[in-house]
Amino acid sequence: MGKIVLENVTKSFGDTQVIPPLNLTIEDGEFAVFVGPSGCGKSTLLRLIAGLEDCTSGDVLINGDVVTQVSPSKRGLAMVFQTYALYPHMTVRKNIAFPMRMSGMSEAEQEKKIQAAAESLNLTDYLDRKPGQLSGGQRQRVAIGRAIVRDPKAFLFDEPLSNLDAALRVGMRLEISEMHARMGTTMIYVTHDQVEAMTMADKIVVLQAGVIEQVGSPLDLYHKPQNEFVAGFIGSPKMNLIKTDEAAKHNAATIGIRPEHLTVSTTDGAWKGTVGVAEHLGSDTFIHVHDTGLADMITVRISGDIAVKHGDRIFLTPEADQIHKFDANGLRI
Amino acid sequence: MANRTLPRLLQTPAVILLLLWMIVPLSMTLYFSFIRYVLNNLRRPEWTKPSIDNWRGFGNYEFVLNNKDFILAIQNSLVIVGSILFLTVILGVLIAVLINKTFPGQGIVRVLLISPFFVMPAVNAVLWINMILDPVLGLQGIAVDGINTWISGLKDAPLVGWFFSLWPTLEPISFRATQTSAIAVIIMVTWQWTPFAVLIFMTSLQSEDQQQKEAAILDGANTWNQFRFLTLPHLGRPIAIVVMIQAIFHLSLYAEIEIVSRGNGNKNLPYLIGEFANNNIGAASATGIFAVILANIVAIFLLRMIGKTLME
Repeated sequence: MGKIVLENVTKSFGDTQVIPPLNLTIEDGEFAVFVGPSGCGKSTLLRLIAGLEDCTSGDVLINGDVVTQVSPSKRGLAMVFQTYALYPHMTVRKNIAFPMRMSGMSEAEQEKKIQAAAESLNLTDYLDRKPGQLSGGQRQRVAIGRAIVRDPKAFLFDEPLSNLDAALRVGMRLEISEMHARMGTTMIYVTHDQVEAMTMADKIVVLQAGVIEQVGSPLDLYHKPQNEFVAGFIGSPKMNLIKTDEAAKHNAATIGIRPEHLTVSTTDGAWKGTVGVAEHLGSDTFIHVHDTGLADMITVRISGDIAVKHGDRIFLTPEADQIHKFDANGLRI
Repeated sequence: MANRTLPRLLQTPAVILLLLWMIVPLSMTLYFSFIRYVLNNLRRPEWTKPSIDNWRGFGNYEFVLNNKDFILAIQNSLVIVGSILFLTVILGVLIAVLINKTFPGQGIVRVLLISPFFVMPAVNAVLWINMILDPVLGLQGIAVDGINTWISGLKDAPLVGWFFSLWPTLEPISFRATQTSAIAVIIMVTWQWTPFAVLIFMTSLQSEDQQQKEAAILDGANTWNQFRFLTLPHLGRPIAIVVMIQAIFHLSLYAEIEIVSRGNGNKNLPYLIGEFANNNIGAASATGIFAVILANIVAIFLLRMIGKTLME
């Protein structure tokens, strides 16, 4: 069982501090997702927890024990890498057996665990193949199998789905979520994809430039973003941020309104604009509205379809209780 | 598949050229090995021209097999090639792993490491046998002499003198003597060819996947296990390449043997061929065919061995 605590952890490469002092608690059994744009330090943070990087200062605690100086293999964590990092010359069986072989487990016990892992991951037919003969999704499952057999205190996933195609990604996302529900082990998952974060996480940690912008459940983050960055980052399409006089009317420096909280009309409404590109997805339509005088572009999401074309006049009305207000420092009011 | 005619036709010149390249010398060697053909014979001047009338059947092969140097030449070929391969691969892997880490001055170190490979084989042999391995004038002679002087000086020292007085006077080894000249050849060729192995292994090491290593670290593999289970298998193919290329080159060693011992008690097959070719082209050709057979056996054996141990 794994409760992971970071206490004033910092990390510098040379003179550049990529992670300023940072505190974070991940409860036992929690599915925590680190999300943020490229280079925000989320992978570094994961590697600090794994022990693949040394903390410049501060401590990492697992179940209350300080493990900052403990070697990666002794921390009892298992990691799944973006590139799978399977051992290419070993069969799937040997790949999964490798951590047990290193810890000197008996052959019989190894075999039992391999079979159990292979069954739960649908890999039984592939045990004697080499990673090169497997598809991306199968390789990722082997990597997960190699992590499972170690009975880790926590699983660390470093963008595990980034190398898969879109359809597989959705499938693997479900598999990992189900695995978490079944095993109840702590999982830390790094991704830049906010859809993955929203769908999988118990707790999302939004990072920017090594700083935690907000920690909370997916819906917390969606309904109550603490600052402009989180507001813009969580949700797809992005929240519209308006800084003009319209914001002052609400006694705020910036107001934000999500595309799905705008109603559209061709006859009347609060804001007026011209239709730019309309993206018809069938279930939804995204309309990019220009010339509103509010921002360069306002995105609207309506369910179903609407008969508008490029250049048409359109009226938008925000739902009053869904307007997010931010002060001059970008913090939520 | 009529539409394949044109591509095949276009490939033909290259294929024919390659076939000629290989088949002409081989069939001429085969032909000469079955006839009597000498460069100079006053009693039988007809043997000095290659002709089917001088057919000897397997006579040349019998003659070669009965030659007192033949078995020694085969043994020597195998011992020399085997030892050089063993040493260059081990040294090559160790040095490549060592200099794969970043350290100050690694550019210069790498250039220096490669430099022995640019020395000509004959120069390499002269350099080693005269300047390094010579029992009197070479570094070896000087070093042995120095150690002897040092020890004899310590014999009179208080307390420890009795210990050093038990030491024998060291004798320098003469590498031109028949039994040791093969060792000299092995040393000098290993020195020259280790850089080749290092170069190939180093490029291969740089393409090693670092995430695999990190995964192995998390899986509890120590440095040795990472080397054994990741780096060594990763080097399997380059090792096979190094072994194959070097086996081809070292089966035909000549200059080093000529310079170290002039073949005294240390012939290999090419050297034997060279000796026969002074006059008896038929016997030289028969030896050449034996060399081809030996090379093939060595190649098959090596490929099997490497394939099994490293490529799992």
